[in-house]
Amino acid sequence: MNAQQPLLQVANLEKRFNISGDFLDQLKFEGGRIVRKQEHVHAINGVSFEVMKGEALCVVGESGCGKSTVARTVMGLLKPSGGSIHYAGERIDQLSDRDLLPYRKKMQMIFQNPYASLNPRMTITQTLEEPVRFHNPGLSQIDIQDRIKAVMFDVGIDPAWGVRYPHEFSGGQRQRISIARALTLEPEFIVADEPISALDVSIQAQVLNLMMKAQEEHNLTYLFITHDLSVVEHFGTRVAVMYLGTVCELATTKTLFSSPKHPYTQALLSAIPRLQDDRPSHIRLQGEVPTPVNLPSGCVFHGRCPHANERCKQQVPELIVQSDGSQVACHGIEEGRL
Amino acid sequence: MALLEVKNLEVTFGLRQGAVVALRDVSFTVERGERVGIVGESGAGKSVAAFSILNLISRPGKITGGEILFEGNNLATLSDKKMREIRGDRIAMIFQDPMMTLNPVLTLGQQMIECLKAHRKISSSDARAIAIAKLRQVQIPSPETRIDQYPHELSGGMRQRIIIAIALLLDPVLIVADEPTTALDVTIQAEIMELLLDLCESNNVGLILITHDLGVVSQVTQKAIVMYAGRIIEQGPTKEVINDAQHPYTQGLINALPQQTVPGKRLNQIPGSMPGLQNIPAGCSFNPRCEFVMDECLTRLPEFTRSGGCTVACHMVRAMKQSADAEAQIETNAIQINATER
Repeated sequence: MNAQQPLLQVANLEKRFNISGDFLDQLKFEGGRIVRKQEHVHAINGVSFEVMKGEALCVVGESGCGKSTVARTVMGLLKPSGGSIHYAGERIDQLSDRDLLPYRKKMQMIFQNPYASLNPRMTITQTLEEPVRFHNPGLSQIDIQDRIKAVMFDVGIDPAWGVRYPHEFSGGQRQRISIARALTLEPEFIVADEPISALDVSIQAQVLNLMMKAQEEHNLTYLFITHDLSVVEHFGTRVAVMYLGTVCELATTKTLFSSPKHPYTQALLSAIPRLQDDRPSHIRLQGEVPTPVNLPSGCVFHGRCPHANERCKQQVPELIVQSDGSQVACHGIEEGRL
Repeated sequence: MALLEVKNLEVTFGLRQGAVVALRDVSFTVERGERVGIVGESGAGKSVAAFSILNLISRPGKITGGEILFEGNNLATLSDKKMREIRGDRIAMIFQDPMMTLNPVLTLGQQMIECLKAHRKISSSDARAIAIAKLRQVQIPSPETRIDQYPHELSGGMRQRIIIAIALLLDPVLIVADEPTTALDVTIQAEIMELLLDLCESNNVGLILITHDLGVVSQVTQKAIVMYAGRIIEQGPTKEVINDAQHPYTQGLINALPQQTVPGKRLNQIPGSMPGLQNIPAGCSFNPRCEFVMDECLTRLPEFTRSGGCTVACHMVRAMKQSADAEAQIETNAIQINATER
């Protein structure tokens, strides 16, 4: 693999969830006839991005924009409805579960809720040993123990606590254990789905520091899903802003925060409560996020965008590279009127 | 006189393992039209403080000491009947989760009219008119049709607006809002906070805002109260608390925010985590995590010291204040001596 090749390449990814129920639920009476109708949630609509080795790509957006679905699809926990996912040059989205195994070892995931992602009936040692034993059948018990002890030490969990069960730990400690579980396999790529959202501010800082330390020591690549923009500003190398299943802006963190271009990104950034503020100050958006069941035509943001025109209502904008290297999907930017 | 005065409030939960003191020696005041923020991590006792103001602490919890003075009544000892008259009428509450606080089987109108009729002798049509007016105040589009809808037909942000409208129905003088925007997205949060702030200002309503977000406190409130392990550790004007925090915990909390650090650098973390209420350490409850810990901190509970506009419970702050005061005293003495000699 050469240095220029991205570690992860996602192209035109699509994911639809069928919510129409079974056959009888799909039958509707319309205009004097019985017709069969299917409804889909369009969770991701043509998302493309690349993750380079050693970087942390953050995906931000509000709830329901499809960021967690992206994470799960990349990990192979969901089968995409369209598009492709390449990992180190190999296509992985169509592999069988068995063929995916070697990739599972390289790609690990950290989940949002440390209260739900650890098995309450397994001790910490059991939780950490299981993936190592499963993926390295040749390893002796002593080697396994050595390895998990080293990882536990790394994340700041006393190896002597290994006999305890998850309920005996606080939220921050549990999230450290989840991170340890991801690290035991010595992965090169970690997908973190809102890893600090369930934690208190002082604990968030501890866990973020731990993830940054792990990144430096193990040369990790992150796909970091979050809704918290101040975390992104601190943690991310590049940022992809998602709205209603599409990427509306993709840029390096510095560029995005110093000169956000897409109207949605601007509104999102202005809504962060800052310590220096005297009053809530933000760009007002009209209306609410439309449902992903019936997507708006054209640009998905046009209904709330203050700068929308006729073209925005009809034509879907593409990500276009700007002079400062950022990619923006907006007709207004393309036409130069914004 | 202050609108609300909480004095030495203590709340205890009688558990099987023994009594747990959830709030200890909590005192603060809210003036008419003043906006007060209570910040802290989960388990610090901020919600218990909010609930006890409305006397909503349910068993095994109990207010075991102190007073809550509001318009001449002590809410801590008021009868249930009297308390019901105050709740919703003079003091309103906004809860955290807009999905849970509305009754799913009643239309918005039914819930609002019910509330009005419980407190006022009023006809249904008058009540409906008031309800529609309040919905308009919280910027609900076409309130005449919305009022007959059910909660599930509205989005989270709209529901929180409805809840604010219900809180405002009887023109209360104090609103207690417990994490009103935690369940909402940032853009919606900004809208709701702006709305709440405008309404409190225009109606001269007092607000107690419970939150864990220091940014929100800075935007909305005039006074900030920082809680840790069931006690108030620092309170004062919001600007002073945020820009010039005295207590090491407040400083740590502010410095731990990503916006306070250069991107890419390590965040300033506070080591450890907050103790559970059953095993609060002796002395200052923050001592195991504090970098300035002294011998005194391990044994003696710090009392409140005034420092600038803030009140701080910290031995170090008190010691520094005392030495500064002593120096000032020596200086003034010297000036006086000079003056008399002359």
